Amino acid sequence: MTNIKAALELVDQSLDQAIERLFTFLRIPSISADPAYSSECQKAAEWIAHEFTSLGCNASVRATPGRPMVVAHYTPPNATKATPHALFYGHYDVQPADPLELWTSPPFEPQRIKNKKGVEQLVGRGTADDKGQLMTFVEAARALLKTNGSLPIRATFLIEGEEESGSPSLVPFLKANAKELSCDVAFVCDTNMWDAKTPAITTRLRGLVHEEVTITGPSIDLHSGMYGGPALNPIRALAKLIGALHDKKGKIAIPAFYDGVADLPAAVKKQWRGLKFSEKSFLGSVGLKTAAGEKGYTVLEQVWARPTAEINGIWGGYTGAGTKTVIPSKAHAKFTFRLVSKQNPAKVLKAFQAFAQKQMLPDAKISFSGKGGGSPASEISENNHYIRAASAALKDEFKRDTVLMGSGGSIPIVRHFKDILGMDSVLVGFGLDDDAIHSPNEKYNLTSFHRGMRSWVRIIAALGEMK
Amino acid sequence: MVGYDIQDILDHIDGEFPTSLERLFEFLRFPSIATDPAHAEDCLHTAQWVKSMCEGLGFKTTIHATTGQPVIVAKYEPPAQVLAGHRHVPHVLFYGHYDVQPADPVELWVTPPFEPRIAPGKDGRACIYARGACDDKGQVMTFIEASRAWLKVVGHLPCRVTVLIEGDEEGDAEHLDRFVAANKNLLKSDVAWVCDTGLWEPQLPAIVTSLRGCIAEEVTISGPRIDLHSGYFGGPAINPIKVLSSILSDMHDARGHITIPGFYDGVKKLSPAQRHARRRIPFSEKHFLKEVGLSKAVGEADFNVLEQLWDRPTAEINGIWGGYTGVGGKTVLPAEASAKLTFRLVLGQKPGKARAAFRKYVRSKLPGDCKARFTSHGGFSSGVKIEDKSRWIEKAQAALKNEWGVDPVLVGEGGSVPVVEGFKRHLGIDSVCVGFCNEDDALHSPNEKYNVESYQRGAHFWARYFHEIAKD
Repeated sequence: MTNIKAALELVDQSLDQAIERLFTFLRIPSISADPAYSSECQKAAEWIAHEFTSLGCNASVRATPGRPMVVAHYTPPNATKATPHALFYGHYDVQPADPLELWTSPPFEPQRIKNKKGVEQLVGRGTADDKGQLMTFVEAARALLKTNGSLPIRATFLIEGEEESGSPSLVPFLKANAKELSCDVAFVCDTNMWDAKTPAITTRLRGLVHEEVTITGPSIDLHSGMYGGPALNPIRALAKLIGALHDKKGKIAIPAFYDGVADLPAAVKKQWRGLKFSEKSFLGSVGLKTAAGEKGYTVLEQVWARPTAEINGIWGGYTGAGTKTVIPSKAHAKFTFRLVSKQNPAKVLKAFQAFAQKQMLPDAKISFSGKGGGSPASEISENNHYIRAASAALKDEFKRDTVLMGSGGSIPIVRHFKDILGMDSVLVGFGLDDDAIHSPNEKYNLTSFHRGMRSWVRIIAALGEMK
Repeated sequence: MVGYDIQDILDHIDGEFPTSLERLFEFLRFPSIATDPAHAEDCLHTAQWVKSMCEGLGFKTTIHATTGQPVIVAKYEPPAQVLAGHRHVPHVLFYGHYDVQPADPVELWVTPPFEPRIAPGKDGRACIYARGACDDKGQVMTFIEASRAWLKVVGHLPCRVTVLIEGDEEGDAEHLDRFVAANKNLLKSDVAWVCDTGLWEPQLPAIVTSLRGCIAEEVTISGPRIDLHSGYFGGPAINPIKVLSSILSDMHDARGHITIPGFYDGVKKLSPAQRHARRRIPFSEKHFLKEVGLSKAVGEADFNVLEQLWDRPTAEINGIWGGYTGVGGKTVLPAEASAKLTFRLVLGQKPGKARAAFRKYVRSKLPGDCKARFTSHGGFSSGVKIEDKSRWIEKAQAALKNEWGVDPVLVGEGGSVPVVEGFKRHLGIDSVCVGFCNEDDALHSPNEKYNVESYQRGAHFWARYFHEIAKD
């Protein structure tokens, strides 16, 4: 039997040291989307690998065509074939930090602050997504090892560095190392709690596919006086395409886009509608009042169970100070599509491309980056026994029933773990809706970090009982 | 007025041509790039050179400080015996500019931009290569050399002349606009002669009689308070890029008509005669579009390309940005999206009203959760139309015909020459816009040139234009 109490006490006593270690990790600007930061990603990978080594794991930094992967294995001294084997997943890469000017403290100089309401928070890029989260299981393992001498399970840690940039190397890496990485179950720590006091396990994830388009009009930039009127403006063509993406009811107008979208089962719908959730405060927290998604669906359904077509970035022509009387030759936009149920990423991309072609004005030539990549949605049975065990462990820590929920975000790894490694994923995370992940002033509540560590102590102990 | 033969003046221009080229080369050697503060000194030296040149002609010349680069004003008054017996000796205001565009990318110039030289062009004709050769130093000097020849051969000019040479044409037009507004008496005249335009074809001269105005605007649409994760908020959260795109997309209907309510207020209907005149101008729409990789005009479907360019207003998006625009992907829903626009205006449209109409249109299309912020990037000029039948235009037509042997065409200009509108607004005078650039002169580009023929015939034209005035 694991001595949970001793491990929990150590977690409580060594909180400051754990924060210090996390801050060291956070100071590395491991932005995977921007090639200028590739050496920082390498540094972050080496740092976390060293942490695992110090825990007694067999850890290594594995090169990929993109950012490296970190793999660490732990086997308890008395392991048998019956000892459960769990994989723990997180990612060391972070989102770009811009717009920098909106940060109140530099994104890569983490701060421990008390907000106006007296809530202690850790502020910095990656605090919640995902360095702070992944350190909760690393620190739990440390506390268990220090107090119990060993973990009651075999553990494999997989920390990737391309989660924020579409994970291009992940599938080849999983395939090439399938035997090494296959475990009984995967625990993924990259999701949220239901609220600051209520734990949650995410059982539904939307898929994701990216596309970038470039529309070319005239062969060169033109003077808007000498050509304005007859000359096609590619920004106008792009605006038309974007304007046509949705109908008035918020439904996506791309033909065949909804192929494979299943209606939400009545039971799940009922469970979700029973959750205490204020649409008003969810939208109000980010300065909005009205849900702009598909009419006829609740906000939770729009986020957890309906697909989207979003524009993430747009640019073209002159964007400097003042004015320039130009009709640009090119305009660009980045799109993402969130997918649900059985929507197929490749088919969705194709449908979008065909739709976009149709929207083009005469002389407007559209090209697609073709770098999409993507993953379909994932759904996990609520009756899975690992989910039941984790659910109970979380309840022990938070003294509240664990909510089984959906997430609008995409964690493609869940799909890949199932398809390539044949294992289910249990999504346990301690983020909160107001963590501002992907935005300036990203934060992670100190209680999320602290109780996250305590939760993993309990979950790992519970796994040890699952002979 | 008698006592001279126009041919003697033209012969004098030709006889002195090598010397006049030397003078132009001196002018061209000044790197008078007004928009670059590093060349402020050069601009001042250029202005001083222009001043002494005007003084050399016997013009009473002054340099005036402005909010931008210095302006040169040179005044000529015919002698008493010329004025005697005329109830009204006309007063013309000649306009040109000594500033030039930046020369970069310098590496694309065959020879250094401020070391003028003569070399054959692609068609074998002799050309003057240098930054400013065409825009506008060469053009300015056509008038100066014509005046010089008149003064040499006849002894005087047939009218009062004020020469206004500015240094902010390639930069902010408001500097000169302020100067003109503040010096109405100094610049008081009957007509302006503006030499900053081109020939329609190498052997077909043109007078520009309509110009579009321009206003510039920037709009930012904001939605959520902060950038959002497109997974956690995608669906219910409004996307400002989407809102901005829809608004900009709806700004034109399927026939290219601008849908902003009130935007066309004041735009005059084209008369059948005007439309007929436009159609008589030799112009290949296909060629015009093909040059820049296009095949179909997308302006207002009810108008041909020349009308779309000269007689109809536009709403153009010059730039757009929002969200993540770096390398790779970022699954963000941005808090804001922005666009820069310019509106080309035609006679009758009021710049302030057009701007207000755009802002009202954007606000009317905003969903409840979005806000719009506007910044004006200037632009105060409305479109200008010069009366085709005025005596000044008719005399210019005659002089052009005498020089080229063909009737000139009356054309429009899609771009803005704010000074023309400023002369109208502040001084109440029309402008006669005549110039001798060719389509392939590469103004604003590397290897700018001016045909030697343009330089020579340009001087001939002004001499002949004076001659037409003298006939009265």
